[in-house]
Amino acid sequence: MMKNPIARLIIVLALISIGSGLFLALTYTYTIPHIEANAARDQEVAILETLPDAVSFEELKNTEFPIYVGLDSSGNEVGFAYVAEGGGFQGMIGLMVGVDPEQEIITGVKILSHSETPGLGARITEAVFLDQFAQKSISDNFIVKEDIDGVTGATFSSKSVSAILEQTLPKAVEQYRESGGGK
Amino acid sequence: MKFGYEFIKGLWDENPTFRLVLGMCPTLAVTNAAMNGLSMGLATTFVLVGSNIMVSALKKVIPDEVRIPSYVIIIATFVTIADLALAAFFPEIYRVLGLFIPLIVVNCIILARAEAFAAKNSIGKSALDGLGMGFGFTWALTFLGIIREILGMGSVFGIKLFGEGFVSWIIFILPPGAFLTLGLILGLFNAVLGKKKKAQCS
Repeated sequence: MMKNPIARLIIVLALISIGSGLFLALTYTYTIPHIEANAARDQEVAILETLPDAVSFEELKNTEFPIYVGLDSSGNEVGFAYVAEGGGFQGMIGLMVGVDPEQEIITGVKILSHSETPGLGARITEAVFLDQFAQKSISDNFIVKEDIDGVTGATFSSKSVSAILEQTLPKAVEQYRESGGGK
Repeated sequence: MKFGYEFIKGLWDENPTFRLVLGMCPTLAVTNAAMNGLSMGLATTFVLVGSNIMVSALKKVIPDEVRIPSYVIIIATFVTIADLALAAFFPEIYRVLGLFIPLIVVNCIILARAEAFAAKNSIGKSALDGLGMGFGFTWALTFLGIIREILGMGSVFGIKLFGEGFVSWIIFILPPGAFLTLGLILGLFNAVLGKKKKAQCS
């Protein structure tokens, strides 16, 4: 075979790498539509879940962060949902928050992403915890252990969710009104 | 040894978790619930079988000097495929295990099987070895996951076992619980097997 052993090493490694790259490119092209569809579906489900009266939604334009206006079956606005993000116990927590701007209450909260401790902090995704935020006023402070029962063993994660809501709600409502929502 | 043994040995005699004590990082990290252990085990099985087959097929082509980098590239390729496939088709599982899947790359069972077995044996035997080792790893992780989930959350595969009065032993789903459970089980297995060996000797 080849005379130069070094050349052989380089060629073999290069061929394996090229083969690997080819394989991965194929897998990527094949899986990426599914991955994107999953993300889009998760987003859609979260928007409609946090706005119980909405059957469809559209995105508001010219806002600093995405705001989705929920519409009922006859096309009337029933509220808006926005994506909020903030620090948790181990990483960022992403929330979808539904708001009824007329009654100034939260209509629902869903966790979009998090990296909290599995089995403890990760239980902030459970309905038992999140449903407590529904129907609360947007000016509430959501104090854990007073207004909200935290997740057992995960006080920090629970407080993080409260803090994200408290910090982002006023801004979201302001953005929504400025960009012509609620008229 | 017969073909079948290459499969069976991974389940018990050379079980990666309880006998070889390899791949402790994922074992300790993901076994806080039965479902997590099972999914991690199956993803690892896929990577093991894939990389064993490839390494065995290429064993004559790969020069000795660069065998480790070659194996790592092959293993990393299969891990990335598993990662993408899980994200695309099992988003629920991916949400829980997403962080740990890329870590299969550094699971020493896989490199160990490539180096110690696949590089010296036929493709068929290597595939069976990977499958056996993978299933051995899977049942071990699922078993640990079941014990930790029962003690720590009072459920198995997410199904509640006890009434409202059950006070869960939260430490068992936290990292220390992983060490406690694994240590006790290893001790128990060694005690039982040690007795058996002594009995055989006498």
